[in-house]
Amino acid sequence: MRRLKGRDERALQELYDALAPWVLGLAFRILHDEDEAEEVVGDVFVKVWRHVHKHDPRRGPLVPWILSITRNRALDELRRRRRWWRKADRWEQAHGTDEEAGDRAPNEAAVPGWPLHREVHAALAALPDDLRRVVTLAYFEGLSHSQIARRLQQPLGTVKTRLRAAHRKLTDQLGHLKDWVE
Amino acid sequence: MTDWLGMSVPPRTPRPELKGRVLARALARRRRWPLAVAAALAVVAAGVGGAWWAHRTIDALMAERDRLAARVAALDDTVSSFIHDPATRLIQVPVSTGGRVGSVTIFADSVRHRWLVRCDGLAPNARDQAYQLWFVTDQGTRPAAVMAMDRDQPMVMALPLPQAGEQVRGAAMTIEPRSGSASPSGPTVFRLEL
Repeated sequence: MRRLKGRDERALQELYDALAPWVLGLAFRILHDEDEAEEVVGDVFVKVWRHVHKHDPRRGPLVPWILSITRNRALDELRRRRRWWRKADRWEQAHGTDEEAGDRAPNEAAVPGWPLHREVHAALAALPDDLRRVVTLAYFEGLSHSQIARRLQQPLGTVKTRLRAAHRKLTDQLGHLKDWVE
Repeated sequence: MTDWLGMSVPPRTPRPELKGRVLARALARRRRWPLAVAAALAVVAAGVGGAWWAHRTIDALMAERDRLAARVAALDDTVSSFIHDPATRLIQVPVSTGGRVGSVTIFADSVRHRWLVRCDGLAPNARDQAYQLWFVTDQGTRPAAVMAMDRDQPMVMALPLPQAGEQVRGAAMTIEPRSGSASPSGPTVFRLEL
């Protein structure tokens, strides 16, 4: 982090090596489009490089900050795409493959951060189906509470309650996580 | 603890060429600053240089304008005094040059000992020639002026007469080399006895 803030270009390269697979994985999970996901990767690292001084370590680790940038950027792209009727169909088709890793999922031993992935994945998988569903719709599809309620045909209050419950469970299980990049 | 949820997604191996593209984009933005500063400095320098050049040019042009205005005013004064002075004698000489008919008008001021000469309708000279006007005095022929006529338009000039002691008895015009001659040697345009 200090090296990044010191404008050490080599630190940026190392950060890319450590995080690009995760950034690309998350962007692809949201967009289901390799080219668009790569575009998001570029935007994310440009933003990180330019705004790393804005990251306050006291407010949270670096990796979640970068993942939130990735998610926001990918969701922006997804919302833009949703307005394009031509691509809407393709998105709907891809929507059914939530857990698909794609044909370029790397070998776990080769990817830094894999243990952390396993832990987060396990925590999400351990959620009851109804909680996991609302979390997935909110986090990976960027839906609002009312949109989730319409999608699941559930009362808005139920959705909010489930989201609060899911957040509490995830916090309990993942609160100890720390960055694996220094 | 949804901040970490992005890590629940399996990683994907980026294409090797993506790294170069991404780093180039990120670092290019950083390096754009020196380029932008250099470009801005260049623009400022060009602006300052241009302003300095424009200032100098405007100054020079204004000086030239003032000089020409003074000269025109003086000439106007001279012409006016020539034309309206009762001591001025008007002499008009028809001439033929290059197959065309023109005239040389002389306002001879006997008080101030100067002539105002206006040439109309003279054919333009060849590139290496000029019209040369002569005073014919009691002591010989004296050069008065060399007039290179490059354009087909009237020419006016004021000429001081030769030193006192020489009596001007006439005038002549010849075609001479462009640098002028010490004595008439070329074709005569006119010769006039006063």
